[in-house]
Amino acid sequence: MKQNHIRCQAASRLFMAMILAFSCVDSIHAADPVDFVRDIRPIFEQHCYDCHGVNDQESGLRLDIKAIAFKGGDNHGPDIIPGEASRSPLIRFVTTDDSNLRMPPDNKLPEHLIETLTRWINEGAVWPDGVDRVTLRDNRDHWSFKPLAEPNLNSQFGFVDPIDGFIMAKLAENGLVMSRETDRLSWLRRVSFDLIGLPPTPEQVKDFLTDDRSDAYERVVDRLLGSARYGERWAQHWLDVVRYADTHGFEVNTERPNAWPYRDYVIRAFNSDTPYDRFIREQIVGDTLGEDAATGFLVTASVLLSGQIGKDAPSIRLARQDSLDEIVNNIGQTFLGLSVGCARCHDHKFDPITSRDYYSMQAFVAGVEYADRKMTTPEAEEQSREAEQLRKRLAEIDNRLTQFSPIARPGTQRPSTSTTGDVDASLLVENQAPPAQVLPLRPTLRPSLNTDRIKPILARRLRFTILSTNGLEPCIDELEVFDPSGTNVALASHGTEVITSGDTIVADRHEPEFINDGLYGNSRSWLSNQPNSGWVELEFPSEAIIERVVWSRDREGKLVDRNTTEYRIEAFTGNDWLIVADSSDRNPVVAGKSPSPSFSTLGLSPLEATEANQVLAEKRVIEKKIKQAEAGQFVFAGKFRAPDKIRLLSRGDPEQPKDEIEPAVIEAFDDIRLNNETPEKERRRVLANWLASPKNPLTARVMVNRIWQGHFGSGLVPTPSDFGNSGMIPTHPELLDWLASEFIRCGWSIKRMHRLIVLSKVYRQSSQSSTEYRSTLIPREQHDLASERSEPDKLDPLAVDAEVRLLWRYPSRRLESEAIRDSMLSVSGLLNSTMYGRGYDLFDKRGGLSGFKPIEELSLENQRRMIYAHKVRRETEAVFGAFDCPDAGQSAPLRRLSTTPIQALNLFNSRFTLDVSAAFAERVTREAGDNLEDQVQHAYQLALNRVPTADELRDIESIVHQHGLAVLCRVLFNCNEFLFVP
Amino acid sequence: MKSANSPMNAETISYRGRQLLDRRQFLANNATSLSSIALASMLRNDGLLASASTSPMIDPARPYAPRPSHFPAKAKNVIVIFCAGAVSQLETWDYKPELIKWDDQPLPGGPAVTFQGPAGNLARPQYKFRQRGETGKWVSDMIPHLAELTDDIAFVHSLTSKSNTHGPAENFLSTGFVLDGFPSLGSWVTYALGSENQDLPSYVAIPDPRGVPQNGSNNWGPGFLPAAFQGTTMSAKDPVRHLVASGIAGEADQAARTLLQQMNARHLQAHPGDSKLTARIASYELAARMQLSVPEISDFSSEPEHILKMYGADDTQNTDKAGFARNCILARRLIEKGVRFVQLFNGAYASGGKLNWDGHNALKEQYDIHAEILDQPVAALIRDLRQRGLLENTLVVWCTEFGRMPFFQKGSKGRDHNPDGFTCWLTGAGVKPGVSHGATDEFGRKAIEDIHPLYHFNATILHLLGLDYEKLSFEHNGIQRRLTNVEGKLIPEILA
Repeated sequence: MKQNHIRCQAASRLFMAMILAFSCVDSIHAADPVDFVRDIRPIFEQHCYDCHGVNDQESGLRLDIKAIAFKGGDNHGPDIIPGEASRSPLIRFVTTDDSNLRMPPDNKLPEHLIETLTRWINEGAVWPDGVDRVTLRDNRDHWSFKPLAEPNLNSQFGFVDPIDGFIMAKLAENGLVMSRETDRLSWLRRVSFDLIGLPPTPEQVKDFLTDDRSDAYERVVDRLLGSARYGERWAQHWLDVVRYADTHGFEVNTERPNAWPYRDYVIRAFNSDTPYDRFIREQIVGDTLGEDAATGFLVTASVLLSGQIGKDAPSIRLARQDSLDEIVNNIGQTFLGLSVGCARCHDHKFDPITSRDYYSMQAFVAGVEYADRKMTTPEAEEQSREAEQLRKRLAEIDNRLTQFSPIARPGTQRPSTSTTGDVDASLLVENQAPPAQVLPLRPTLRPSLNTDRIKPILARRLRFTILSTNGLEPCIDELEVFDPSGTNVALASHGTEVITSGDTIVADRHEPEFINDGLYGNSRSWLSNQPNSGWVELEFPSEAIIERVVWSRDREGKLVDRNTTEYRIEAFTGNDWLIVADSSDRNPVVAGKSPSPSFSTLGLSPLEATEANQVLAEKRVIEKKIKQAEAGQFVFAGKFRAPDKIRLLSRGDPEQPKDEIEPAVIEAFDDIRLNNETPEKERRRVLANWLASPKNPLTARVMVNRIWQGHFGSGLVPTPSDFGNSGMIPTHPELLDWLASEFIRCGWSIKRMHRLIVLSKVYRQSSQSSTEYRSTLIPREQHDLASERSEPDKLDPLAVDAEVRLLWRYPSRRLESEAIRDSMLSVSGLLNSTMYGRGYDLFDKRGGLSGFKPIEELSLENQRRMIYAHKVRRETEAVFGAFDCPDAGQSAPLRRLSTTPIQALNLFNSRFTLDVSAAFAERVTREAGDNLEDQVQHAYQLALNRVPTADELRDIESIVHQHGLAVLCRVLFNCNEFLFVP
Repeated sequence: MKSANSPMNAETISYRGRQLLDRRQFLANNATSLSSIALASMLRNDGLLASASTSPMIDPARPYAPRPSHFPAKAKNVIVIFCAGAVSQLETWDYKPELIKWDDQPLPGGPAVTFQGPAGNLARPQYKFRQRGETGKWVSDMIPHLAELTDDIAFVHSLTSKSNTHGPAENFLSTGFVLDGFPSLGSWVTYALGSENQDLPSYVAIPDPRGVPQNGSNNWGPGFLPAAFQGTTMSAKDPVRHLVASGIAGEADQAARTLLQQMNARHLQAHPGDSKLTARIASYELAARMQLSVPEISDFSSEPEHILKMYGADDTQNTDKAGFARNCILARRLIEKGVRFVQLFNGAYASGGKLNWDGHNALKEQYDIHAEILDQPVAALIRDLRQRGLLENTLVVWCTEFGRMPFFQKGSKGRDHNPDGFTCWLTGAGVKPGVSHGATDEFGRKAIEDIHPLYHFNATILHLLGLDYEKLSFEHNGIQRRLTNVEGKLIPEILA
């Protein structure tokens, strides 16, 4: 840059000398008004345009176009305030002594030039219209922002399929023609990989090759589109775009256990061919459309959980801004193909998206929180009812169990020297009548669950007081009080009210009313505002007999800090507060020693112990069932609350808020605007309708382009998530618009688009090489093109279109990581086609800091398709991740298809490949018998869908004879023929 | 509109389109030697800024082939010593005598609450500082071996980060963005430059023997760059994964390899000139060479006793130190073989400061342990590189994601996160020796002089490798992404 600068300076030194001479003579006479063209522009040209002109607009400032120059840069208002030089930042920048701020950065402007600038501004900064040498290109004047233009097909192509017509026309313009039609087998393999991500079976091959009906191709397409495997294949493309993962990302990367219902939703939506406009609406506002899981879309990004954000207010504000930013980015990239996020800090450099637009978009989603939400699908409701029944049963069991647990004996004198949890009965002093015998101490307090069985007592109020903790302010996630029937009378839904000694409130995490809301875990808990102490008082709606108090720090068993170590429970009987339980008769917590079991049969008779153990066993079974029943009830799909107030942020900095902003769509596109009274749901509904409108010029174009890309490896627009000014223009604009119009016309049916594409002649072309293309070209007379354009170099497609963007042949490509793994499993007969549900493990853990150890052994679970793997953000799968599998950090609208030696090592040597090869060999032996040639034939049919040639057979047979069939299987999985879409 | 948008019609297309076309013709003429991936990557990089970006030409058959830098480079290779968890600048390189004077006093005007909670009082440096070498640089006794090298080091004391949270901040240090999913420095460098050695990965990330660093694979991830440019993890203890097919006899393995070659050769005959196929064939050949060269590089039997001793690799009392020392030796061996980028991690994941530099609670106690592991091995590495002449073309970077506060946290003997002023340093090829650039305030709370966001540090590293940080870019979702975003700037004061 510096060099560049110097060169420019040298080149214009002469020019500058001229200017200086000129200005000295003509403009320094104080009487003459300063003239922009004569006096000012030369200064700008000489000193400013390098960084604030055509090529660069540092800090958003541009001084070569009047309209923009008066707007000023990103960080302050207008730089030029007519009549007020002293207030104009421009003058401040050129005069300041602060070398970090001074402009131009290298040398201070000569005094007389500063004086000229000052005078010009003071005289009103007259900048005549029409003198600018450059005009601003209107960034709204861009192909993809214009309405779909539908060409008249009849006049153009007659009976030719429109897709073929457009492609052939463009080829003809460039002196090219389509390649010959490919053989049936290649088309079948191609369309199978494209639509379902798996190769055809030998039976499917046979059926198709022998099907001489005129609609044989259509039948294959119908079969593939009707297969449930289709949704599994195409959902993956979508999940790449929205960067779906099953962990929260960033450093801590904890598990996001309820993300998968969104993944399943996407698979179902593709399989049922949900109209794309509806698909959009469901993902933005599915909570009102009976598709709860669909709004998982809003919160697919990495997010810092509340514990991971700094405690200082700026950190909290920044984290919230970042998470809203990700939602806006996701919407912009995915549906509009626009990098809206660029405008977070400054107006978009290339596209008509202002910062104001950006924050207006934020305002639509300002009530979205990254959180689990209870699903209301029929299945979930059924499971919820089931869980409720099980909970009742569990309550009964707990009630029975209390019969076996010792009644609390508050005020027990414990030997102070006791350092172990073991009971030395002889040392116990019992001060409460009657038990004459020495009773064992009750179990040590645990963060996950504590039960206090008390003598039944009639009470209206109950107070739980924390006397000490293992550090910090105590936290209790739930406090339950049971009557003899096993009913929890403490529940808020029962009518019980709560007061506390004081609270630390963290919205949606720690609130006083979470202590009796029936929901467990740290994220639904009460947090005291005093270190090591605090109390909670429950007032029941009416007097009740109570006999058991159950409480915990974190019933989910995740957190152990802020745990109560000493406590007291009192009941108000009408006149007095009576202590009914405390920690005096519990085994003390001893650091470094695991606590005694929460339930102990110590002190029970053998008969009682047996019965207690039975009840305990039943309890565990039911708890497990409840867990299962509840697993599908939550989905990480956002929680919706009153929207945050959104303000324009200077430079995107939450510490520099400006005007309050209302929800509105990007102004250059439409004038839909809401006021800030608009409820949360309505905001999202309006946004969704705008996105899903047939009038939106981007939505349909962007999606048909993604579909096209899925079939040809590259879209008609090669930048699938950038349809803006800096994206690439379509190779076939008319075709793109025709497809988009057709898409809307056929009710936004994605499957209909697939059908159109895969049945076209373009798609059915051979993937032959250029050599072959040339050799077959001359005899053919398609459109007589070859003879029409006879220059020999035109016959070399590589000279015109080496990248095959014009589609003079079908562009073959490597399979993606998922398709390779799935196909290996399918070919070897191991593929487990179980759909949906919680993902299977790729690593020894499902989330967490680091050190993920891959699971290498095959199991029925991990023989499912890879889309059902529990996707740990950033940790790609140990074998197939190297095949450009996105890590779900950023959106991946286009898979790179790189080639690396690590891929070769993984695919050739991994435990996975060796085990699957062995299984493949077993399958072949089982199905083909002992004859070696039959085995080789069958292996070929399964993996490559063809018979081996005589040469191949000869090479293979000796090797297989010597080293076994698995060697061949391993090689088949590694060979190019297997790994490429033909 | 229809013809205006055709990239093939040279008469009517836009300036940008014409440029695209020119390049395409150029590429078509060279089509025999280039692949469509290289084409795609070039064309994809053809955004509005096409004239400003220089995309490397990558031959898929040889993704690690050496590629020219943008301008003559001072350094050919890089070792980054990455200290996870945020090393306190105040206990190491940034001497603040005022802290001794104001020990246990509140910081006037200081924040009440920082990352982890309420702030306590100012705390003196936990180690004694002395002046070192000819420059008289004040460095603490925590790192006596490294302290001896200060005459050769260029310190930047005024770095700032955009996040006070380890995850985003390590992303920022390694990728230039706080969000997940961007390419790491090493990926950028190997994408641009390839490597001198074709038998080893071009970019190796060496995790600490105590565990993987705080932000895991993000620190060596390729983001949206091709997977070929991601760091390969290996250490002296753990070899490259899947290097051999376990349980397969050598002969059977060789037979499989031969058969694969035959099948691919036949397939290629039927698809002549398809460079994607030749690239894949080449990748198996490269893999086979790696199978030989990787075990060789990890075999230290040729390292003499005195070298092991110099690094501390012979320390039987402190196995973590010995393990890290062996990783340092591995780093040197990789650089010796021409590997472009080596990232050496010191410190593991979040662990309350037990396994890395995150000294919130018992800073002194924990740093005693961590410093012992870091100090001698890294000092030996630098000395060893120098004595072998490798430092002449190797850049050594020492970095950490942010610094620590001048005060202790309330109720603890540790310092909280401080992204507002911290120290990293460079030494080796192209670096001005014995410089201390930039400064924090008298307490080390904030950078006040020559403030440099980490962008500048990364820009300077690229510059030393002959790369223009503004030209090294890659189009992703409509944006020409760079390591330094739009905020790159050189730190010329530390360049030789």
